[in-house]
Amino acid sequence: MEALQQAHETLEGSANLSKALQDVDSLIALLTSTRDAIADGPDMAPLHMAKLKAPLKQSFDRIDDDLKEVNKGLNQYNKALKDKFKNSSLPTAGVGESSGLASQKNLVDRAIAMHLLREGKFEVASTFVKEVNAQAGQDREDGENVEVETRWVEDFAEQDDNDEMDEDEDGDLNEELYGELGKGHLQRKFSEMYRILDALRNQHNLTPAIDWARHHSAELDDRGSNLEFELSRLKFIELYTATQPSDPSSSILHALSYARTTFPTFTPRYERETAALITGLAYSPNLTTSPYGSQLLNESLWTTVSNLFTRDFTSLLNLPSTSPLSTAITAGGLALPILQKVERIMTATRGQWTSVNELPVETPLPSGFMFHSVFVCPVSKEQATDANPPMLLPCGHVIAKESLEGTARGKSRVKCPYCPMESRPGEARRLYI
Amino acid sequence: MAEVATSKLDPDSHLLLDQPLLRLPHELLRKNLKTAQRHIESTHKAVSTSIDTLKPAAKPADTLAALEATLAKAQSLKRKLEALHEEEQTLHRQQRARIGHLQDLHDVQTVDDVKFDNWSEVRLDRLLVDYLLRQGYSSSARALSAAKSITDLVDIEVFEEVRHIDSALRRGDVKEALAWCGENKQALKKIGSQLELELRLQQFIALRRTGEMGKLMEAVVHARKHLVGGLDTEFGLKAGGLLAHPPNTMVEPYATMYSPARSSYLATLFLQTHHNLYSLPSQPLLHTALSAGLSALKTPTCHSLHRAQLSSPAIALVGNPVCPICSTELNELARGVPYAHHTKSHMEEDPVVLPNDRVFGRERLKMLNEKLGVPGGRVRDPTEALRGREWSETELRRVYIS
Repeated sequence: MEALQQAHETLEGSANLSKALQDVDSLIALLTSTRDAIADGPDMAPLHMAKLKAPLKQSFDRIDDDLKEVNKGLNQYNKALKDKFKNSSLPTAGVGESSGLASQKNLVDRAIAMHLLREGKFEVASTFVKEVNAQAGQDREDGENVEVETRWVEDFAEQDDNDEMDEDEDGDLNEELYGELGKGHLQRKFSEMYRILDALRNQHNLTPAIDWARHHSAELDDRGSNLEFELSRLKFIELYTATQPSDPSSSILHALSYARTTFPTFTPRYERETAALITGLAYSPNLTTSPYGSQLLNESLWTTVSNLFTRDFTSLLNLPSTSPLSTAITAGGLALPILQKVERIMTATRGQWTSVNELPVETPLPSGFMFHSVFVCPVSKEQATDANPPMLLPCGHVIAKESLEGTARGKSRVKCPYCPMESRPGEARRLYI
Repeated sequence: MAEVATSKLDPDSHLLLDQPLLRLPHELLRKNLKTAQRHIESTHKAVSTSIDTLKPAAKPADTLAALEATLAKAQSLKRKLEALHEEEQTLHRQQRARIGHLQDLHDVQTVDDVKFDNWSEVRLDRLLVDYLLRQGYSSSARALSAAKSITDLVDIEVFEEVRHIDSALRRGDVKEALAWCGENKQALKKIGSQLELELRLQQFIALRRTGEMGKLMEAVVHARKHLVGGLDTEFGLKAGGLLAHPPNTMVEPYATMYSPARSSYLATLFLQTHHNLYSLPSQPLLHTALSAGLSALKTPTCHSLHRAQLSSPAIALVGNPVCPICSTELNELARGVPYAHHTKSHMEEDPVVLPNDRVFGRERLKMLNEKLGVPGGRVRDPTEALRGREWSETELRRVYIS
């Protein structure tokens, strides 16, 4: 990277056209002075012209030299560039079935539209949907085969405000959204989320978030979320730590009265925490040095609560809290070097994947990228699928269905591959992992 | 869990997708220099001839006129170089920003680092803009790169020019493509491209198709000028053959050459040539990264019939976040890609099975049940949330998964 940077410095510093421009300026000056001299004394014209030739040639030589220097700079940069990327060929599209994505433009486009929405880039998203629409229309006009379903575009179109007025009142928002994520109000939902987040993160204003949480209290509880409590806790802390020089005790009173009205509405599972909060009041005004200081005076609380809010909000929409597209691309970036290497080896040895459904090699990802449990049969080393599910033997060991059938081979009793226990194949239970 | 990667980041292997990022400005700088060279050469030549041809005995007025003419040429050269220098500075600025962007990655030690998330986000935006440009969603590309302030990291102008030429070609207009060939003559020669010949042949076909005598003569002149002369006789022969076969011929390869489909063939050839010349990948990098990512994340569970229950909201809130492959955004898209390879099971700690055959880690099951408010000693399948049946904890069975 340093070599590249240095080569770039040279380009920007000296190996560029600025010198050539200077030399063109002096060329112009030379020509101008000669012209003026001849205009002043026409008699001497041949002499002036003769005197012009040598410097003229020099001028152009200098300009050529200037360009050579630029060229040299570019060559150096090119060398550094090649060096930097010497181990990586340009990524080919040939990783697995990647060409398949090209034929699924519609789905890729939809994923992008949803990504833009969840990023809060509503204007970009609407420009994008318009362009996708226009292009689809164009293709249709050209008589091209537009079997592709661009119906999702309609789902993204902005709806009339009226037909949605009562939706939040319904309380069964979740039911309505379940499985209908592409519907028109997605944009509205996300814009609501960003409005609340903006208040929360940037203005430290809890009110919109608390209103939202109260509104969805039942659903949140249903899912075991503690967002509502976390918000109240933060509100309490905010009241307590608000500085009012005129009346230092007023903040404590405010916090106390808030605690009295709000905390009892929560289930007993927060008892310990509420007790800690109230006790914290006793340490005023030396809260900073008290045992409760670190718990109550923590800037990161806001970030934590913002993240919690995002997670719960998106999860009520049944969506992951980080953009799937973003997760997938990051995972792709991590997996690509391995896949690329395998591909190189495969090409060199003219090998082929033995399984079309599965990557030929492990592509390890950090633990944050694991979303499901994975069962690999200890006998066949194959991953369980719907067709080949994990089976629990009476002894408690689990093997894949095909392995079980292989071991049994039609016999009425089968011995567990991992312990001495025998059982009838029919006794095995299919597991859902 | 042996399959979990170490979180250490190796920037050099991670930069696999990023070579074009630095390649393109470099190739454009080269082209810029070549253009400057061409201007200087031609000015040099013109100035020398006009001064050399001036006779020593020429009248002072003529000498002055000749000098004025050279002066004008030098000034025009200056203007051209100034424009090129400006372009050069823009490219340098982009190059600097791009090197800085890649340097950011080198400053990241592990993938857990917040800085890595930030970097990945910028990369995603870059790949998205690249994709949008390639699909012709130019306004979206502009809007996104402006909204994310990454204009120096993306190549909007380059792709817009490509798009422009491409759509002209599809309309049957080869002029702009020919102009582009002219600008890149040397480079095209170097890679042995036949694009220009194909375009010239297209012009010939258009003239031939009319069938009018005058146009036919013009076609012959055109063929003599552009299609024959090189060592390669292929295109001259093609032109000859076309003269012998009328536009409604059934004879191949002439029928194909007359076919309107040839315009999209030319457009594709142009795109290939262009991307090849500027070291741009033929596929959007988004496809490459996305297909790798979909596969790496995909498990057989993601398209299993039992998936809906597995990624249910309750699990999502208190346990793992919702799987990106299971989410609406990517589920259909991932259907066709292979799933990740695993050589070992990885399950939650201490797996137990419920009477309904569902497996959970014991601790997590307990925690989920607490959140659901299930009384002690009783247990419920958390994926069924409040609708679920309840069993006694004694009905849980340990399972052994190696």
